Amino acid sequence: MTVTALAAATAAEEFGHLDEQSKREIRCALLTAVAVPGYQVPFASREMPVARGWGSGGLQVTLAVIGPQDTVKVIDQGDDAGVNAANLRRLIVASTGAAQTTDARAASIIQTRHRIPEDPLGEDQVLVLQVPVPEPLRGVERDMRELRRMHAEADYTAIWVSLYEDLVRNGLITQTTGYPVLVGGRYVMATTPIPRWDVPKLHQAEFLALFGAGREKRVYAVPPHTDVEPLAFEDVAFQVERTEGASCLLCGAVDAYLVEVPARAAWICSDTDWCERRRSAESEDGEGAREGVADA
Amino acid sequence: MGYSAARGGLDAILAAEELMRAKRDGGSSPPLGIDQVTERLNLAVDRVMGEAGLWAPRLAALALRQAEGDLIEAAHLLRAYRSTRMRLAQPVPVHADELEILRRIVPAYRVPPGPQLLGRTLDYVGRLLDTGTGPPAPANPEPPEPVAADATPNGRHPGRLLDLLRSQGLIRDRRRADDPEPHDVTKDPVRPGAPRSARLSVMARAETGALVNLWYRNILGPDGYIHEVTLGEVRHGRLPVRVVHPVTGQPVCLGEVRVTEVEAIEDLDGEREERGFFDVGYGLCLGHNERKAIAMANLDIAVERDAGRSPLEQSVLMTTDGLDASGFLEHLKLPHYVTFRSMVERKVAIRVAAERRVLESPPADSPPAEAATVPGVAR
Repeated sequence: MTVTALAAATAAEEFGHLDEQSKREIRCALLTAVAVPGYQVPFASREMPVARGWGSGGLQVTLAVIGPQDTVKVIDQGDDAGVNAANLRRLIVASTGAAQTTDARAASIIQTRHRIPEDPLGEDQVLVLQVPVPEPLRGVERDMRELRRMHAEADYTAIWVSLYEDLVRNGLITQTTGYPVLVGGRYVMATTPIPRWDVPKLHQAEFLALFGAGREKRVYAVPPHTDVEPLAFEDVAFQVERTEGASCLLCGAVDAYLVEVPARAAWICSDTDWCERRRSAESEDGEGAREGVADA
Repeated sequence: MGYSAARGGLDAILAAEELMRAKRDGGSSPPLGIDQVTERLNLAVDRVMGEAGLWAPRLAALALRQAEGDLIEAAHLLRAYRSTRMRLAQPVPVHADELEILRRIVPAYRVPPGPQLLGRTLDYVGRLLDTGTGPPAPANPEPPEPVAADATPNGRHPGRLLDLLRSQGLIRDRRRADDPEPHDVTKDPVRPGAPRSARLSVMARAETGALVNLWYRNILGPDGYIHEVTLGEVRHGRLPVRVVHPVTGQPVCLGEVRVTEVEAIEDLDGEREERGFFDVGYGLCLGHNERKAIAMANLDIAVERDAGRSPLEQSVLMTTDGLDASGFLEHLKLPHYVTFRSMVERKVAIRVAAERRVLESPPADSPPAEAATVPGVAR
């Protein structure tokens, strides 16, 4: 049997692959996470049909919160067609019967790896981020007992010192993706490896952001209207990725997260659906109507 | 194009799945029967059940066949299958003394209490590759049970060396009452500072190679938190599985599992340790897998003696799960171009910042140099 058929067969027995007991456990952990923004809540991570490190945490979160009336969008690197995004999407859809879309505006749940869509998300939307490494302080401390103490006491000296040392040595803060942020003025949180470009989208957002780290068995959350401040100094501003003169080869966008196409010495939007809609809107005959991703 | 682009990824993975299926289920030989896997590849089945933490020989064989013999992949299939099943009951604890032995050796004594029962082992079979025509067709479908000289009911349930050492007052007694319910690592994730039951559960499900490597790394590698122990018991046998009957309230036996059990006797030779005593490390895993149980028993006592002074406990708890490690390793194959673009941007920015600093503080005897052009970076 094919994977799609197997996932659908499982759905006949258990909606959303996991048994109800497991989904309740995950929802309990998520409620704690929403109540304590930025705090890493341990949860009994289940083994999923995808490997640890391949979105198993995000998948558990999505399957715990999804209902049959939901419309789901799944992206990897901003691309709905990415192979892992396609695999996760077919598992979610086959085991829940939820609708699927590539349009971020039409989705009630968006599961993502490494990006937040360029479209502003609203209060009726949930963003589920796949997290490889939930611990923002691991770069400065390896001992898990000490890490617990640091978070409990809000002792974030070590990461501040490391940012300062970085600045002194390199003239700027060299942290690339997964930039550390202070959530609700209390917990330092890892922003998954989303680029710095996406970090400001989490600040005072309309939407609920849920983070799932399956391998490390942690979930955390940024509820709507929560302060998310990148760790930066008063006189050294937080910088997002920006390349002078770069614009999307396809849609001409300047104000979007662009990725390089070295073979053509060009740039394209990482958010493929947003880019496509911009092009449809440009062409006079296109109404920008979107089709859902066809089922396999 | 958004539509067709999204199809692209799906078409590719469906094609990859079909290539896997065609090679696995195709070929000229007859399909592999599940009974063949459980009978002829029983050690692989045992290993998969142990690393999956689930006793289910038929399901493990199905998983092994589906995974084309990849043990980690098979354990993954089995664990993911279990994620779909409701937990119906908790078994009643059984004492390890109920183990009905199929094999038992006591390296610490020539004539221990109870039998030395070599049983089924390759330990003393020369490793000579048989290039002949293969085994004859089975004459007897039921292979004979290993028979010990005193395979009486008592001979199958011998006392253990630990009891002898206890009676001699040679063992530091660590039996305790404050950890009565074993920590269920599938319900509560572990972290350092975990009770011993959590440590043992993690290792019972750990990948065999990970435990062996962690042990050897401590013997010959840079860590060195272990020294070689003397094995008190190495056992392979059957344990009953009992649950409380929902109607009668009485324990009923549902069946049995085979396990490997090891007791490792450690010489307490540290400066601050009780030098007049031995201590014992414990290993037990599903199926016949002595390598794993021995490494487990060694690591158990090593973590106990280490008492949180080194990172050993964190290594045992956090780095030995086969699915965690393999999954994360292989995820490196996923696209990472969003993150890589961010890294490239910072590399360029570092160079620009370095050049700006040179410009801002020119040496007194030389005019400021023309800024080297590093294209495309915002200041």
